[in-house]
Amino acid sequence: MAFTLYSLLQAALLCVNAIAVLHEERFLKNIGWGTDQGIGGFGEEPGIKSQLMNLIRSVRTVMRVPLIIVNSIVIVLLLLFG
Amino acid sequence: MHPAGSAAAGTPRQPSKRRIPVSHLGMADPHQLFDDTSSAQSQGYGAQRGPSGLGYPTASASPQAAFLADPVSNMAMAYGSSLAAQGKELVDKNIDRFIPVTKLKYYFAVDTLYVGKKLGLLFFPYLHQDWEVQYQQDTPVAPRFDVNAPDLYIPAMAFITYVLVAGLALGTQDRFSPDLLGLQASSALAWLTLEVLAILLSLYLVTVNTDLTTIDLVAFLGYKYVGMIGGILMGLLFGKIGYYLVLGWCCMSIFVFMIRTLRLKILAEAAAEGVPVRGARNQLRMYLTMAVAAAQPLLMYWLTFHLVR
Repeated sequence: MAFTLYSLLQAALLCVNAIAVLHEERFLKNIGWGTDQGIGGFGEEPGIKSQLMNLIRSVRTVMRVPLIIVNSIVIVLLLLFG
Repeated sequence: MHPAGSAAAGTPRQPSKRRIPVSHLGMADPHQLFDDTSSAQSQGYGAQRGPSGLGYPTASASPQAAFLADPVSNMAMAYGSSLAAQGKELVDKNIDRFIPVTKLKYYFAVDTLYVGKKLGLLFFPYLHQDWEVQYQQDTPVAPRFDVNAPDLYIPAMAFITYVLVAGLALGTQDRFSPDLLGLQASSALAWLTLEVLAILLSLYLVTVNTDLTTIDLVAFLGYKYVGMIGGILMGLLFGKIGYYLVLGWCCMSIFVFMIRTLRLKILAEAAAEGVPVRGARNQLRMYLTMAVAAAQPLLMYWLTFHLVR
């Protein structure tokens, strides 16, 4: 079983990158997951879909700059050490 | 099973808490986690070390005595010790920002009786009636006083024992090499991290208002290592039949244990009585609890089957 912490970190980085490259206008709006389409009423239950949309939007907003830094570091390290 | 007062609890979102008076537990200070053993013994040690400490430099060889008697080195020693004290203060002040040390201390406030009862509960949870954690002035009681409280001692010890037993199992099959130990530990830790992240994500998506903290979750998910150790040891002694029997028993026990524990944390108190109240939302939470509990036997099998041949 070669499932190590390092591969978990790699997988997490790739997943966050995947969430960050989802294009707002071309993709998310077309499947109804845009940021301005999510605000339902002010009822009690947000529902799973709006929670997911909130999560995607917050990940994209928060992780944009740290991702640039972390990606650059990982690219340099992988080029140097394989 | 439940005291009658909890049925009439005020807000629907708070879990029902049972308050116990301080005197009932016989504790001097309700917020004290560990017994204070520092008073009597340290005085004895200090008194013993005093004369012997003073006696040591003069009894040692003369160059050392000359070195210590030199006033410059005295000043240097005093300066060095004050620097060390300052550094220690700095570390103590800032460590709480990164690692919640005071919160972690709660999870290690255990004693032998608690560990024994908890291990018995992990292997045979079917007769235990009351699964709720007792509260005392809004903080949960330390694990030492309530067998239902989660702790981190058993999961930590069980994890280390699992790695060692895995090494033993590999050794009996001539497959052992030292880096395999690190690989086993890393693999189990990675699965634990993945489980915690998956459960936190699903708790967020289902918007469960729960007081289940991350450390609590790590504690509950760490209890399966106990069953895994039992399975591997039986597999070493009695072969595959013993392994499957004991692992099957431990899987059932962990399944029941997790359902009964998580039901009180994830599901609202109305559903904890056994009656599903508001269809869709409680159903989703019940599915989540069942999924978490069902993942435990799967992981227990996945992490141990390659060790028993």
